[in-house]
Amino acid sequence: MTQTVSFVALDPGVVGSVVMSTETQNATAARFERDVAPFLDSLYGAALRMTRNPTDAEDLVQEATLKAFAAFDSFTEGTNLKAWLFRILTNTYINQYRKKQRAPLHTSADELTEGELNEVGENLGMRSAEAEAMARLADGEIVDALAALPEDFRMAVYLVDIEGFSYKEAAEIMETPVGTVMSRLSRGRKQLRELLRDYAAERGFIAAEVKS
Amino acid sequence: MSCGNHHDVPCVQIHAWMWIYLDNELEQESAHLVGHHLEECPPCSDQFTAERIIQTRIRQCSETVQTPEGLRTRIFTQIQQTVTDQ
Repeated sequence: MTQTVSFVALDPGVVGSVVMSTETQNATAARFERDVAPFLDSLYGAALRMTRNPTDAEDLVQEATLKAFAAFDSFTEGTNLKAWLFRILTNTYINQYRKKQRAPLHTSADELTEGELNEVGENLGMRSAEAEAMARLADGEIVDALAALPEDFRMAVYLVDIEGFSYKEAAEIMETPVGTVMSRLSRGRKQLRELLRDYAAERGFIAAEVKS
Repeated sequence: MSCGNHHDVPCVQIHAWMWIYLDNELEQESAHLVGHHLEECPPCSDQFTAERIIQTRIRQCSETVQTPEGLRTRIFTQIQQTVTDQ
């Protein structure tokens, strides 16, 4: 597959200070490979979760890493490379792939009021016995439940729960305020647990009436 | 949901803080209040345990993705090419 790579500079918010370098292109390529290679599995895993399709995931990772290389001069060494790469991956995904997909967006009006946040905590009411039953679900069932979440919620859950990014990092990657990340995370987690509870009830791990 | 007992910080507030606390994002002072509440409130404490069980399980089943070797090779070969082409 041939692919044209445009050397687009990221917006100023993305980059730190531009380091003027006397490094040769070859040396930059070698440094890029050395630094980025350890994150490839994470990037590919995230791409798979975003696109839900191995071919699209490969294309997405390839495109994002090439963009990252083109912008690598603007990455400040010693800062958070993983978050920087994830931001490029997420942007690439939003620009190139989301258009093709039917997933609804929740780009506005997804801030929770404090009352609603309280309600999120309150409604959950999960008990440890119930959680243990839900944990008996197969990996595939849990992956399905994650994939069933609305995209923005799923992204927040992946970034924080699976990739271990802080709220602030997730906010930078998703280019949203921290409050939006928290609200998407709350809603995503709540929906995910409801789904897992339904699956566990279907499998007879928990009684259906336990569902509050 | 409340356990019906009196606490300095009510259960409903603890629930609102739960995920922020579990994500280690709650400011220290509030986190201390949560810790204290959990020691004296078995229902809340059980709910936090339930959350940790689910969080751990979700992380477990998402750990094992490996980049296809072909993709890895393709990416770094293409980068080498962009460098030599210039």
